[in-house]
Amino acid sequence: MYEIKARVVSNAPVVPGVYAIYLRIPEAIDIRCGQFLNLSVGDGAHLLRRPFAIFSYDREARVVGVCYQLKGEGTRLLSERRAGDELACVLPLGNGFSIGEAQKRVALIGGGVGIFPLLSVLSEYAGCEKHFRSYMGFRNAAAVPSFTNFDKRSDYVAIATDDGSYGTKGTSVSAFFADLTQANPDVILACGPTPMLRALKAGLAERNIAIPCFVSLEERMGCGIGACLVCVCKKSGSEENVRVCKDGPVFDINEVEI
Amino acid sequence: MAKLNVNICGVDFKNPVIAASGTFGFGKEFDEIYDISCLGGISTKGLTLEPRLGNPTPRIAEAHGVILNSVGLQNPGVDAFLRDDLDFLKGKHIAIVANVAGRTLDDYAGICARLDGLVDMIELNISCPNVKCGGMAFGIRPESVKEATRVAKSALKHTPLMVKLSPNVESIPANARAAEEGGADALSLINTLNGMVIDIERRRPFFANVTAGVSGAGIRPIAVRMVWEACNAVSIPVMGMGGITCAEDALQFILAGAAAVQVGTANFSDTLAMPKIIEGLNAWLDAHGVADINELRGALQLG
Repeated sequence: MYEIKARVVSNAPVVPGVYAIYLRIPEAIDIRCGQFLNLSVGDGAHLLRRPFAIFSYDREARVVGVCYQLKGEGTRLLSERRAGDELACVLPLGNGFSIGEAQKRVALIGGGVGIFPLLSVLSEYAGCEKHFRSYMGFRNAAAVPSFTNFDKRSDYVAIATDDGSYGTKGTSVSAFFADLTQANPDVILACGPTPMLRALKAGLAERNIAIPCFVSLEERMGCGIGACLVCVCKKSGSEENVRVCKDGPVFDINEVEI
Repeated sequence: MAKLNVNICGVDFKNPVIAASGTFGFGKEFDEIYDISCLGGISTKGLTLEPRLGNPTPRIAEAHGVILNSVGLQNPGVDAFLRDDLDFLKGKHIAIVANVAGRTLDDYAGICARLDGLVDMIELNISCPNVKCGGMAFGIRPESVKEATRVAKSALKHTPLMVKLSPNVESIPANARAAEEGGADALSLINTLNGMVIDIERRRPFFANVTAGVSGAGIRPIAVRMVWEACNAVSIPVMGMGGITCAEDALQFILAGAAAVQVGTANFSDTLAMPKIIEGLNAWLDAHGVADINELRGALQLG
């Protein structure tokens, strides 16, 4: 983990209400897929940093990319930052995704801005003899980003929208279960809103599917590095909390209460 | 290089900048970013006799210049702290202040007895606003402040006792004097202010616990005033805190009479906030020709 000053390279919407910001960091560091950074929005009145998953990292250019949804005043301020502005952040944070050597067939299930951490998985494992099948869910056609190249790096891509205005009508989870027999994955990696992750957990349980499944969770954070115990979730079947920022954000779906 | 070390009831702090309870865990995570042995000390996450799970999430919110937290004293219990964290902190050679909370007077006596002689100082948390039985009940009336202090003090044979005061009270001087009369060796203040955020769409409080503790730069003028009042009311040393983000902020508290300061929320805005404050104090003292930070303690001039 490093406390650094990053320089904004670009900051622009990718779909209405969702921005991609690219930041140049002072030195090349190791960043694993599924890790995140905790980013200042750049003004003194907003004391909390915002945790965002890193979806792209160009080590040579020392540029990290994160996508964020405009949700409140902080993200609106962040959207006003321009190329050349300096923003403080801590990175890399969290455990990230990892795929076992023997796990060749990988299902990626993403909902909304939750698709972005999964992009980092595709980049990290490019050329690693992994076969990816990707299932992406969005609210509607307008929310489907065009730049992600999921199709170029996956054997199969299903896009679902809540209103059916793009791809099939439904969710990324329903698209995954529809393709399950064909996909027969060795491991499932998922990220998205809580209802989506709950549906995935329930769907796997109903079908008695024991395929290893890892989910990246989101929670409001304080320090972002594991000290303040703000971003906790309950460990399944025990009187214990885990820290989303430090023990996660990636957990075995059966390890935590979602 | 100015002299920065301060002595508070026999405990030596290499500088007057101490991590505030609840924002810094037991130091291990921040130590991954910088070597925390540069700090004056650390006040640990609030400890209780038994482990506690704390409040439901969300536990944090933001408003202009402040944050609100409702962690609710989640902690692994005092025994886990002694087993897993104390040796690490001792290896850092910084003053170790154990922040302790309880439900009953017996809890306070029990946890103080458990920690006596093992840490450098106890900080009695009778002011956590986020749990019904987190000690806040003891922190409001001067009579119960005095009683809780007396009970804790009687359980301590070796370790000095600092009492952390709540700002959500009628009179800071009255409660400061009550703690002193109860046998406190030092005071710290302020704990968080009671606040509330409402989710207008859901027409519900943002926090499950309804109210939460307000901290951060925006509360600093209130904290400076309260620390000044406390310093004027007692003769024991005072640690000041509340919205400190830089050396100049810390100096306001020291001029008001604080022997040292604690830094909390600023650690969230900048993980290097405390080392920067220490460097900043050095630079300020050198630039102003002050050889020893103790010269500034209570040096506020009125009129």
